[in-house]
Amino acid sequence: MLKIFRDLLRFNLEFAIGTLIVSIIVGLSVLSFFSPYPPEDIYVVAPDVPPSWEYWLGTTSRGQDVFWQMTAALRNTLLFGIAVAAISRVISLTIGLVSGYMGGMTDRVLMSINDTFIIIPLFPILVLFYFVMRDSMSWALLALIMAALGWAYDARLIRSVAMSLRTREFTSQCIFSGMSPRQIMTREHLPYVLPIVFSTTLNNMNWSIGMEVTLSVLGFTDINTPTIGSMLYWANQHTALVAGVWWWIAWPVIAVMLLFIGLYLLATALNEYIDPRSRLSRMGGAT
Amino acid sequence: MKTYAIYLAKRLLQFVLVVFIGINLTYVISHATPIDPVEQTISALTSFGNTSPEAIETMRESLRELYGMSGTPLEQYVSFWSRIVVGDFGPSLSAFPTPVSELILRALPWTIGLLVVATVLAWLLGNLLGGLAGYYRKNRLLKAMGLIAMGLHPMPYYVVAFVLLVVFGFLWPVLPISGGSGIGVGRGFSFDFISSVLLHSLLPALSLVVVGLGGWFLGMRALVSNIVTEDYVVYAELGGVDRRRILTSYVMRNALVPQVTGLAMSLGAIFTGAIITEEVFGYPGIGSLLVDAVHAGDYSLVLGITSVSIVAVSLAVLVIDLLYPLLDPRVQVE
Amino acid sequence: MTLHQLNNHLNPAPEALPASPALRVDGLKAYYQTRWFGITREVRAVDDITLRIEHDEIYGIAGESSSGKSSLIKTIAGAIRPPLNVVGGTVNFDFGTRKVDLYTLKPEERTAIRWKHLAYIMQGSMSVLNPLRRVRQSFIDFAFRHMGMPMPAFLKAVEDHLLRLHLQPGVLDSYPHELSGGMRQRVVIALATVCRPGFIIADEPTTALDVVVQKSVLTMIREVQREMRASILFVTHDMAVHANLTDRLGIMYAGRLVEEGRTRDLFRNPRHPYTLHLIRSLPRIGDAEPRQGLEGTPPNLADPPPGCRFHPRCPIAMDVCRVMVPPMQALGGGHRVACHAVTEGTVQ
Ligand SMILES: Nc1ncnc2c1ncn2[C@@H]1O[C@H](COP(=O)(O)OP(=O)(O)O)[C@@H](O)[C@H]1O
Ligand code: SF4
Ligand SMILES: [Mg+2]
Repeated sequence: MLKIFRDLLRFNLEFAIGTLIVSIIVGLSVLSFFSPYPPEDIYVVAPDVPPSWEYWLGTTSRGQDVFWQMTAALRNTLLFGIAVAAISRVISLTIGLVSGYMGGMTDRVLMSINDTFIIIPLFPILVLFYFVMRDSMSWALLALIMAALGWAYDARLIRSVAMSLRTREFTSQCIFSGMSPRQIMTREHLPYVLPIVFSTTLNNMNWSIGMEVTLSVLGFTDINTPTIGSMLYWANQHTALVAGVWWWIAWPVIAVMLLFIGLYLLATALNEYIDPRSRLSRMGGAT
Repeated sequence: MKTYAIYLAKRLLQFVLVVFIGINLTYVISHATPIDPVEQTISALTSFGNTSPEAIETMRESLRELYGMSGTPLEQYVSFWSRIVVGDFGPSLSAFPTPVSELILRALPWTIGLLVVATVLAWLLGNLLGGLAGYYRKNRLLKAMGLIAMGLHPMPYYVVAFVLLVVFGFLWPVLPISGGSGIGVGRGFSFDFISSVLLHSLLPALSLVVVGLGGWFLGMRALVSNIVTEDYVVYAELGGVDRRRILTSYVMRNALVPQVTGLAMSLGAIFTGAIITEEVFGYPGIGSLLVDAVHAGDYSLVLGITSVSIVAVSLAVLVIDLLYPLLDPRVQVE
Repeated sequence: MTLHQLNNHLNPAPEALPASPALRVDGLKAYYQTRWFGITREVRAVDDITLRIEHDEIYGIAGESSSGKSSLIKTIAGAIRPPLNVVGGTVNFDFGTRKVDLYTLKPEERTAIRWKHLAYIMQGSMSVLNPLRRVRQSFIDFAFRHMGMPMPAFLKAVEDHLLRLHLQPGVLDSYPHELSGGMRQRVVIALATVCRPGFIIADEPTTALDVVVQKSVLTMIREVQREMRASILFVTHDMAVHANLTDRLGIMYAGRLVEEGRTRDLFRNPRHPYTLHLIRSLPRIGDAEPRQGLEGTPPNLADPPPGCRFHPRCPIAMDVCRVMVPPMQALGGGHRVACHAVTEGTVQ
């Protein structure tokens, strides 16, 4: 495992750059724990100060230090992405493994449902969800609904791997030795699909973080939890661009763009490592 | 012929399934959540002043009626579906008494126009360039494009649209950044109006194309670099078949088949992107309508837009599916 | 004898020359050279192979899977692409009207020779036709340039060719997936031979077909050969097919030719222990007990054993086998073998 990681770092430029970027972002989000004041507090420093020695990245019109605000926002945004990815992996894995292992009618039914979730435009549904929840909307609830909606693409990928496992000899050996389908799936097949699960995790994080930013900027989430999206929301509320407080917008946008690129590079490198032929995963515009 | 009929039946079934699950999802979200949209609306409407309890009670009654929330759950469910089947979502609250369907019909052409042009452009261009990049792996220019595509592809629509807005709205203000056409330009079939519409659609379309292009480019490049190792391409090359013929009829042509499937599969995501982009540029389509409806607390409108979006996207997917056999003679009969 | 006749006798016209062999392969080496994550690997799939194929002859190559058969004939057909590279040796064809030293040619010239003079039927013929193109279109793509006739005449020629091979011209309107496996294989053979090439190279064209279909494909190949008087280099791991089809046979083991001779001689009197094993493992009517298999696995060609590559599995291996590569020895009658035991007369 460690050796694979080292080889990838040395011989795969995409992986190296991706690792570097993601480490920087993770490092920044860890720094949030050392913030001199809670990130939710406002008017703790002088407002609208441009980047300077005292405030490296400037301060917001709400009297927050952009740097510390951003570390907290990155942390919450990352956690959000991880939470959505973790929950939706459970669904993707279950559907993908069962569909790929069982085949036949089960597979057809599950994949029809799966494709349905790929086709349905999710944004209006998320907006509707916010619309009925309004003030009860929370960070955790959003993560939950996004996980419930955003598993289908990866379930399809996992299914295709599981399907190829089904025809391998060791699977029939397991069947002859009397293992139940559930045992085969969880003990024998799961380890094989884990690498692809890992790379889909990264792509799924990109998707959910992008969606979170979008929803927050429009004010369709709990905007009092600092995330990259809510940071931009407040900047827009204070018309930061018109007022010339560009640093309030520029830094979080740059940070989150770097995060997208970093995660994407990691996922691409991993995909290539797992299967040089499957560079086409996540094709199209599934952002 | 028979296989096509089976294929047709399957695709139609999938279409019905998407609409069924999608609409049920909206039903569950709007009816089965602990939050009552009627109460939501009332609190939104009454938050600005004192309203007598009797007035609130009448309001509650009529809202229940309006939102299809009176009667037993079964009645509610049936009335929910019947509204969708006839396309009648009642009057809009924020633009009372204009029917929701009329508002949607007014906005839909903008969205469809923007979406179709941008998607077709991104798809064609991305596949052409990506295919070339996969075939001519050593070309510097195409390699550079690949790097740009890798940077752009992971960006969500909102971020790209926002960055373009900042660049062309604040740093280098040369393009209109808001609205669907110039203020004061009379509607109709005039040069002024059409050029104004085109000019206003430039930035929204550009952001959609920029995001989509990267994805199609990378997808096609990967597909092509796999297809060139397929036996039939290797064999054609060994047989000295004309290089251009190999590129067009063996490599690109065959790679387009999965890209069409990919297009059908990502229409939902592209649609999401379009309505987000519209909101950023204040483009008068479904997206702006949706966001305004949320801010105005217009439940019928939000519900109407959600339902119409689901049906519209599944219809578009169905159309692509039905045309697919023209591209691939091996219609799947599993 | 007239003076004219005498002159002809002393200086015969080129056609009448005691022709050079149709194919001469000398000391051919071709390796897969790959770099993956910083590690360089060299798979010696074709290692120092020398052989001759006469005009009008069907020459077979046998050997278990992964012994380098495909790599060898890819190299002979000039159909190699990285990571497979020619490391040494020569490949010379005599097409009657033209003699070529394959690897001194430019790649374009090599391509021009293929199809016109040289037909190469690739392994896995099931997938060599573009699935989205009708068979007719494939014929046009591959052969039209070489035939030098207008389109209607060309299509007529293709149809005649198909008819001669007992195929209905109707197949031209099909897509590959509409044809059965055997039919597709026969169409591929027809496609490869439509220019009536003098030399045909076929890689496992009967593998993956059931026995009945296999038979029809073999019949077809025999007919093609008889009709065109072409030389054929035919590869299959299936010894039964060799026994039925080929005139001479070369046995490959781990990238090397270990024995060669007239097919009849090889089957009657195999000299190399590996050939013996291949022939013994053929099922025969009246078999009492199952044939015994070889122990061990074929060697890893990235790091082949020293000396005779067969020694780890050879039942009669001697000390010399572990250190010295056995040289190819002529036994007379065109029978050659590379085995220390034969050279030293240990086995008869
Ligand atoms: N593309 C490749 N890269 C590296 N090694 C290869 C490649 N193709 C084949 N080989 C190796 O070359 C050897 C000979 O393979 P091949 O010529 O296909 O054998 P055969 O046709 O007799 O089955 C095998 O050990 C195989 O693993
Ligand atoms: S040379 Fe030695 S090891 Fe090789 S086949 Fe002959 S006897 Fe066996
Ligand atoms: Mg082979």
